[in-house]
Amino acid sequence: MIETAVWHYDGRNANRWHPRLVGDAASFRLIGEGWESGPWAWVDLRALDIAGRDAVFGHATEPGWRIGFADGVIPADIVPLLPQRARYGGFIDRIGLGKASMAFAAVAAAALFVGLKAPGWIAPLVPQSWEDGLGDAMVGDFGGRICRTPEGDAALNALIAKVDPEGQARTIEIANIPMVNAIALPGHRIILFDGLIAEAKSPDEVAGVLGHEMGHVEHRDTMAALLRQLGLSVLLGGMNGTAGSNLNALLSLSYGREAEHSADLSAIERMKAANISPLPTADFFQRLDPLDDDRRDDKKAGKDGSVESEAVEAANWFGSHPTSRSRAELFTKAHVKGRAYTPALDSVQWQALKTMCKRDRNVKPAMGMGL
Amino acid sequence: MDEHSGSAFAFEGSWKEYAPIAFSNLLLTIVTLGFYRFWATTRTRRYLWSRTRFIDDSLEWTGTGLELFKGFLMVLALIGLPFLFLQFGVQALVIRGMGGVAGALAVSAVFLIFYLGGVARFRALRYRLSRTYWHGIRGGADDGGWKYGWSYIWKTICGMVPLYLMVPWSMISLWNERWNKMSFGPHGFIAEAKVRPVFMRFLLFYLAPFLLALGVFAVLATRGTWVGSTFLHTNYPPAIAFIAMLVIILGVYALLGLIALAYYAAFLREGIGALRLENIDFRFEATTDDWLKLFFGDILLVVATLGVGWLFLQYRHWKFFITHLEAYGEIDLDALTQSSTRESRHGEGLLDAMDVGAF
Repeated sequence: MIETAVWHYDGRNANRWHPRLVGDAASFRLIGEGWESGPWAWVDLRALDIAGRDAVFGHATEPGWRIGFADGVIPADIVPLLPQRARYGGFIDRIGLGKASMAFAAVAAAALFVGLKAPGWIAPLVPQSWEDGLGDAMVGDFGGRICRTPEGDAALNALIAKVDPEGQARTIEIANIPMVNAIALPGHRIILFDGLIAEAKSPDEVAGVLGHEMGHVEHRDTMAALLRQLGLSVLLGGMNGTAGSNLNALLSLSYGREAEHSADLSAIERMKAANISPLPTADFFQRLDPLDDDRRDDKKAGKDGSVESEAVEAANWFGSHPTSRSRAELFTKAHVKGRAYTPALDSVQWQALKTMCKRDRNVKPAMGMGL
Repeated sequence: MDEHSGSAFAFEGSWKEYAPIAFSNLLLTIVTLGFYRFWATTRTRRYLWSRTRFIDDSLEWTGTGLELFKGFLMVLALIGLPFLFLQFGVQALVIRGMGGVAGALAVSAVFLIFYLGGVARFRALRYRLSRTYWHGIRGGADDGGWKYGWSYIWKTICGMVPLYLMVPWSMISLWNERWNKMSFGPHGFIAEAKVRPVFMRFLLFYLAPFLLALGVFAVLATRGTWVGSTFLHTNYPPAIAFIAMLVIILGVYALLGLIALAYYAAFLREGIGALRLENIDFRFEATTDDWLKLFFGDILLVVATLGVGWLFLQYRHWKFFITHLEAYGEIDLDALTQSSTRESRHGEGLLDAMDVGAF
């Protein structure tokens, strides 16, 4: 037999009652002056925060129903019947804060590891047809900005035959956009920007960049990066980003250092097989290195104005390709002394490629792309 | 029950008591990559509410971390996924040269966010009231806030169109609309805030940039120095001139921020001061000086503790709010019966996602 004094809110109105709690080990009744309620089962009680110094309990299914023990004084025979107060929440209370923290940290580390690695594992499992469809849906014909002339196409095909002899890329095209950039798109597509062709001093440099993008295509890095971005935007709420910055986001899809390095190795392999010298590509990297201040100052003194914007554009490509210097070294080292390299294109082909976007009368201007 | 002493609300917590909650929250939030923050918020609120006394008993927060988490998931499903699609879709459209369609989609997306932002503001207030108990009784609202979302759009736009002069009207009007839908127990809140008391403050804020610009030009004119948008010509070395410009610009921003604070102080005083619940009148007595103290106190606390004080800002702000909140009148406990409003089962996820406050 249990009997003690409590205070009580019934959850129906705001009066504070002072009934006697009378019951046994299973349940109890509240008996006030002229009223009685219950039976209430002990197991339905929920421990709440201590308000003031009182110990307060609620009921699982009765909103606002409360009983309180003044000054936290609970008779000894009731204590074992009452629930414990939650501190951190469910399972943390059961195993303790320290252990729970370590368990969480372990799970978090594993989740981060998987999150970073999973795109690389999943990407090869995405059916090629899906990726092709996705790439076409995202990019289409680049809004009519793909440059085409019969001579230019022939030159581009000659270059492709050397760098991508197995035809791993579905399309390799040049877009009429004055940015020093090249991108590998989902669906085994590569787009070289006209600004890059204009900046390049020889076809060998273009071959180097193309070889690098071929590396991304070969390793399906684009799909992995897309998955990673997708996962991140889901995880982070995906609430940022206005429409205007989206293309830039696509351009700066980051593949990670490892992927960039193996794409470089792939480029070197391809150039070696095609007997193209890697030195011009090394020079290209060196020339466009935004950190190469001396060189930029020289240029600035020479041409004034326009070069600075070129340097900014160049920074685009290198922003996602860190350590240009070490990459230049990588390509320099690949050079074999005394070997008789052949140019990637002859001078007629090279001119056709360089002037393709200017000569193509049907190509749309780069304006209006939000660049 | 009569209450005329002017201290119906009191905050009885201490930062020492709160510290273990704050630090364990931080620890758990870090090791769970942020997922614990919903439960952390709940623990903080439970503590702050339980240390907030209204007349003879403390408030009680009955919200749960799981609710907040569900609210967050709802935002992901309702907004996150469509926006992800929109993000890639707009991108594809732009690249394909269909800029018009992309623009239309983007604009409608902005309006959707705008609308949901209004709805979120309403529902956050409703959620907080429905989880706040006093004497076993809770608050709430029968309205879902869907109509309020439209009011939010048109009133905000109307406030901005006449050179932003109607902003105080739109803010006061939305405040009244929001609070008039809320209730505690069986009683509806009555909000009758007026624009006039806050308008002069707003005008001060509104005219400050013009007065400042006028002053700057007056000074420059007398000194015969010309500041153009493209070049700056003074007799000082360029570095000093640049630093001076920077100081001036930062100073202007700081000043504008302070004037905005002065306006907000007046706004909350009017908003809460014109709020009634049955026979209770509320008042909020924080002056601009109080707000300044809070603001600079925050900065000082965070800087002096090398960032650790950041954990206590929520505590400080709640204490500030309760300390300056007053209520007068009487409560009929028999008539204060349980709220019949529907309890939403999810928390203020929308609001969290858009990072706006409940008041």
